[in-house]
Amino acid sequence: MGGSGLITRSAGLNNMFLKRKGEKIVFKKTWLMISIFVILSVISACSTSKEGEKEKSDELTYATVKDINDMNPHLYPGSMSAQGMVYESLVENTEDGIKPLLAKSWDISEDGKAYTFHLREDVKFHDGEPFNADAVKKNFDAVQKNKEKHSWIKLSTKIVNVEATDEYTVKLTLSEAYYPTLEELSMTRPYVFLSPKDFKDGGTKDGVKGFHGTGPYKLTEHKVDQYAIFKANKDYWAGAPKIKKITAKVLPAGETTLLALQKGEVNFTFTDDWGTDSINVEGMEQLAKTGDYQVVRSNPMNTSMIVANSGKKDSPVHERSVREAIWHAIDRETISRDIFSGTVKAADTLFASNVPYANVELKKRDYDVNKAKEILEEAGWKNSEKGTAMKKEGKPLTMKLYYDSTSPSQKAQGELIQDSLKKIGMNLELVGEESSSIANRRTTGDYDLLFNQTWGLAYDPQSTISAFTSESSYLHATEGIPNAEQLYQKIEDVLTSTDEDSRKALYKDILTTVHEEAIFIPITNGNVTVIAPKSLNGISFEQTQYELPFEKMYFE
Amino acid sequence: MKVVKNLYRDKLGRASFIFILLVMLLGVFAPFIAPHDPLAVDMKLRYAAPSWEYLLGNDHLGRDILSRMLYGIRPSILWVFVALILSVCIGAIMGFIAGYFRGNVDAIVMRICDVMLSFPIYVITIAIVAILGPGLGNILIAFILMKWAWFARIIRTSVMQYVELDYVKYARAIGRSHIHIIARHILPVTFSDIAVTASSSMGSMILQISGLSFLGLGIKAPNPEWGMMLSEAREVMFTRPELMIAPGVAIVIVVLAFNFLSDSLQVALNPQLRKPKNRSGLKPFKTVLNEKEVAK
Amino acid sequence: MGVFIVKRILITVPILLAVSFLTFVLISFSPMEPAEAILRAQEVPVITDELIEQTNEKLGLNKPFIIQYIDWLMDCLQLDFGDSYVKNESVWQLVGPSFFNTLKLTVVSSLVIILFSVLLGVICALQEGKIIDRILRTVLFVLTAVPTYWLGAILILFFSVKLDLLPTSGMSGMKSYILPVIATSLGYIGIYFRTIRSAMLNNLNEDYVIYGRSSGLSEKKITMHILRNSLQVSISIFCMSIPIILGGTVVVENVFAWPGIGSLSIEAILSRDFPVIQAYVLIVAVAFVIFNMISDILNAALNPRIRNDNS
Repeated sequence: MGGSGLITRSAGLNNMFLKRKGEKIVFKKTWLMISIFVILSVISACSTSKEGEKEKSDELTYATVKDINDMNPHLYPGSMSAQGMVYESLVENTEDGIKPLLAKSWDISEDGKAYTFHLREDVKFHDGEPFNADAVKKNFDAVQKNKEKHSWIKLSTKIVNVEATDEYTVKLTLSEAYYPTLEELSMTRPYVFLSPKDFKDGGTKDGVKGFHGTGPYKLTEHKVDQYAIFKANKDYWAGAPKIKKITAKVLPAGETTLLALQKGEVNFTFTDDWGTDSINVEGMEQLAKTGDYQVVRSNPMNTSMIVANSGKKDSPVHERSVREAIWHAIDRETISRDIFSGTVKAADTLFASNVPYANVELKKRDYDVNKAKEILEEAGWKNSEKGTAMKKEGKPLTMKLYYDSTSPSQKAQGELIQDSLKKIGMNLELVGEESSSIANRRTTGDYDLLFNQTWGLAYDPQSTISAFTSESSYLHATEGIPNAEQLYQKIEDVLTSTDEDSRKALYKDILTTVHEEAIFIPITNGNVTVIAPKSLNGISFEQTQYELPFEKMYFE
Repeated sequence: MKVVKNLYRDKLGRASFIFILLVMLLGVFAPFIAPHDPLAVDMKLRYAAPSWEYLLGNDHLGRDILSRMLYGIRPSILWVFVALILSVCIGAIMGFIAGYFRGNVDAIVMRICDVMLSFPIYVITIAIVAILGPGLGNILIAFILMKWAWFARIIRTSVMQYVELDYVKYARAIGRSHIHIIARHILPVTFSDIAVTASSSMGSMILQISGLSFLGLGIKAPNPEWGMMLSEAREVMFTRPELMIAPGVAIVIVVLAFNFLSDSLQVALNPQLRKPKNRSGLKPFKTVLNEKEVAK
Repeated sequence: MGVFIVKRILITVPILLAVSFLTFVLISFSPMEPAEAILRAQEVPVITDELIEQTNEKLGLNKPFIIQYIDWLMDCLQLDFGDSYVKNESVWQLVGPSFFNTLKLTVVSSLVIILFSVLLGVICALQEGKIIDRILRTVLFVLTAVPTYWLGAILILFFSVKLDLLPTSGMSGMKSYILPVIATSLGYIGIYFRTIRSAMLNNLNEDYVIYGRSSGLSEKKITMHILRNSLQVSISIFCMSIPIILGGTVVVENVFAWPGIGSLSIEAILSRDFPVIQAYVLIVAVAFVIFNMISDILNAALNPRIRNDNS
């Protein structure tokens, strides 16, 4: 380089020549820089890629579209599947009925008003506090203090008193006999138990200090919107679970989940408690074909449906004929066959006939676009111009259908229904929102139509039906029908009835009314789908779509 | 019409211009050209592979992708173009007012511009979508609301240069009306600056607006739009990555054409740019400022 | 120089005020009544007019608009943006961490942008008109036209799925930065590299280079001169790219599930969580203004001509 400097000096004014010389020098340097950089980056890429996740045989990482959120078990924003791992209830709802869990046995008084629970004596909260009658009472009291929030669960309105009669015996007194008491006590929330040490000001409604339950897993780390780690509870009363660590990883988009599964960044996923099936069936099949994964489906668990808001007076959906027309315009067979590749069955009624009390004769409304049009025309809706929405008294037949923006299958169904409805002159506007916003609309009644699902075998029919009267659930949807008051009375009666026959008769009436009024437009009978590593055994299901018994799973 | 001649001489510029014109015409006449109804659902054709009848195949509802691409030109390009023209018009009016009259009017307009330019475009669009709800119309409103300030600023600078020219001063001195001066003496000369700025914005606007549709904030189902088609394709990108090709390539090519055209326009209107022998040290910095706009 | 800085800061203050006011006004157009939304968020079962009135009273929503704005501004200055309507947390708890995640992505991307823009810009300038210059220019020009989300998806398909080298999404360790940073920077590199290239070309023809050569300055020194001058442009680009990227990461964050403020804002829109949206708009706009100010000051410090031009 010194040489070239010399040349420069001596060559004097020959600019062109100089420029080229200078270029070469800089050029050499740059190439050197580039090569160093490239080599460095390649090395770093290689070295980092080698330390990639090793598959440990006692860990699961599952993908979830949303953060697990607030784990307070006495409130509702949290993820139920996560809460289900950490907290437990007194009794458990299984295929064979109610079974003991934290209570080893119980007695029910003659009049059905008093329940006495005998607790297990070998249970401790995750923070080491003993689980005893006192803890049970404190938890019940904390829930009852916030009664309004739990109005959807009718038991909360019936509990009069909770009393610890000795260290391991609790007596629950109700204002009147209430037949689904044990079912409602078995639910994921709110009647589950948090260490009283975590209470704030003696309660839980204003937040809690920790999340120590009695369940098989402890929450050990939570990074909002990224991940949450659950570790096996070594001292779990039923024996420490075999899967030692479960990570819930937030992956908002379905296709990313699929890629992450294929790459092993996560190795487990399931249709989660928000009812979101973020992964399409085709993708699952492809994944199963790789040989690393298995797809396990539960029996039909619930019904996917469109809820029509009869209570919205200024919307066409207030009219029964419009709701019926929508019912007729849904091609359930195509949805089940093409969108779900036949993994779910078309549903014609709100509850499948295997749901208790739901084996009721109801008029089937087939997919029949012409019939739908006829119904509308009979009701006075008219087509003014071809290709535009029908009108009645100057009001166009236009409605909004809300779907969960994280669920591509809901969007596809929506588009399909939108297309058939357009043919008969009904305009459907599709709006995708977060599930929380949709739940908010359901509560405030600010919607025409929205996608929803029944709550699963443990909840159907009693809880779903009692939710017809609850503002936080389906009150707005049901309140617009002519005989709403009568319906609500019947619901009240059926839940407190002690006589099996009258219960049957009342359920029949209730189910017939909501069917006739076409408030809940069924689409398919859904199930819980799990994608898991091939070597994972012991995958089973609860009686609800909201939880999975992780503690029963193990690797071969 | 030296400009046209210059532009015509530039092969790439000419090709881009013709291509853009063609694409726009395809969009305008989509109903006559599209082989199928872009909204016609046929579940039997769900994800069907390309065939002679459906040249680009079918989407998740069995709709014809080619027809959807053609109809998609309307929101993806034509409407963006309309929004651009509108914001350029508003920007031009404000820029002329500020640059010509100066004084307090200028100060006020420029302060408004400062505030508008303090919001990144995505941010303000998100705010507006949050209030008015998702929809292409709302996004375009947000763009018009924001972009005019950018144009106003550039046009003002350009106007200010010409106001100082002797013949404008002369016209003022002999008492010509302001409108006359602006229309006769300033508008024609600033037009080139306006054209260059506007054309360089088009590519970035197409990218930004399709990006918002991709996020689900733009056009509503079932209407076709390229960004939205990509977002639908993304849902199955693991199983059917080929669905991402058509809309993606279309966006790239159209944006590329606009960028080429903008470059050519710049050269055509300002031929000395061909030789990068600019001596001012300030120039590169200004270019940077200009290119800020191109950034996605 | 000091005068310039003071002036620049003084201009920024009213702009910040105007930005905050506009944000406040914008969100007050939101279709949800705040009192009702807050009560809903607290899951109060029966919402009466009386209760709404009480809440309005408590939150000062009955006060005149301008007082409400001042109250709100004061709260914001203490990072108190209220509570989320949807999540059981304060807005800052949500927005704060995600803002820093976005900032991390932004800074890393800016560094990559500047590194490659300078590298490629210098190469092309020195090889002006030759094959490397042409190829690089064409490739980079094409890249400016590629939508980030499409590029992101392709990168994921190729590097994460086909080659299985990098994680598909999320923010977990250094490796997860690579793809989002590439997707963010490529387009900008295409833009800024052109600037550097033309700056370099200008420099090569600058008087001082020619003069320096003719007066026998060593090539090494001249190269240093040129590089130093180019450094100026690089720093101004770096400073300017930070605010621009910061305001535009929404799409990239969405594609790569990056837990940043852009993802958060989309989630907030879809769940109609207005306090979060308000905080998002305010924080990003303020950051944008401040980074722009810093970049102007740095530019002025490096280039005296601008300083004089502005004053």
